[in-house]
Amino acid sequence: MSKKSKFSFVDCSEAATCCDKAQYEEANLFEKAKLMLHLFFCKTCRKFSNRNSKLTHLMKESKLETCPEEKKKQWKEQIKKEFAEERT
Amino acid sequence: MSANTLDPNKWVDKYSDYLFNYTIVRVNNREVANDLISETFLAALKSAKNFKGEASERTWLISILKRKIIDYYRKINSRKGKAEVKINYSDDYNEGEWLEEQVADQFDRTAEDEMENNELGLAILDCLDSINEKHAEIFKRKTIDGADTEAICNEFNITPSNLWVIIHRARTALAACLEKNWF
Repeated sequence: MSKKSKFSFVDCSEAATCCDKAQYEEANLFEKAKLMLHLFFCKTCRKFSNRNSKLTHLMKESKLETCPEEKKKQWKEQIKKEFAEERT
Repeated sequence: MSANTLDPNKWVDKYSDYLFNYTIVRVNNREVANDLISETFLAALKSAKNFKGEASERTWLISILKRKIIDYYRKINSRKGKAEVKINYSDDYNEGEWLEEQVADQFDRTAEDEMENNELGLAILDCLDSINEKHAEIFKRKTIDGADTEAICNEFNITPSNLWVIIHRARTALAACLEKNWF
């Protein structure tokens, strides 16, 4: 994966990082250009990139949420307290 | 004999996100979801001695949560019912039957409407369970909470390039897992 193709000038792991950053809209213009150039030549990374975008799409579609931290803390304390009481 | 044991002190870290997403698509209200989960944990503690270790901890918690969700719909329905009973159902005999029908209907509709997305979300959480715990945590912070790269780096004391390596591994593992279990 890390071998530099003589056409693309960017190695696959570098392209993968750019691709991951692009999923979070954190790739700058230079990184995007590098990625595009690499994808043009590299079939494996094109496949990876498609898969990666699909995952981003699924994550959005799933509308997953995490519980608020303060709730978790509250529950933890509640459980700890009740658990201790149960045991005594 | 009992392959599964209970460890209540880890429940919140291990299952709260799963329970929360399970509940939120069924009751569609954060406050209610939080209350139901809180009740579930307490009920689970109380009946911990009945846990036989046949199901996994999470399956067992979900089965308690399901009851809590049904109870919740029963409660709001009987409240609604009483208000209308006065108008349409004057005799005691009809009242009971009518309420039973309403309960079943309401619950099914809510569950079914959201079923598809709900399962996708839970499938993702399932897959995240199977990868490295720390990687999953960082991936969740980044992807679900949408936290800044810098904030996460500070929180976990890692460099941005560490972060991207972790994200990359998590994404690759998650994509592979979803391909196997979802598509």
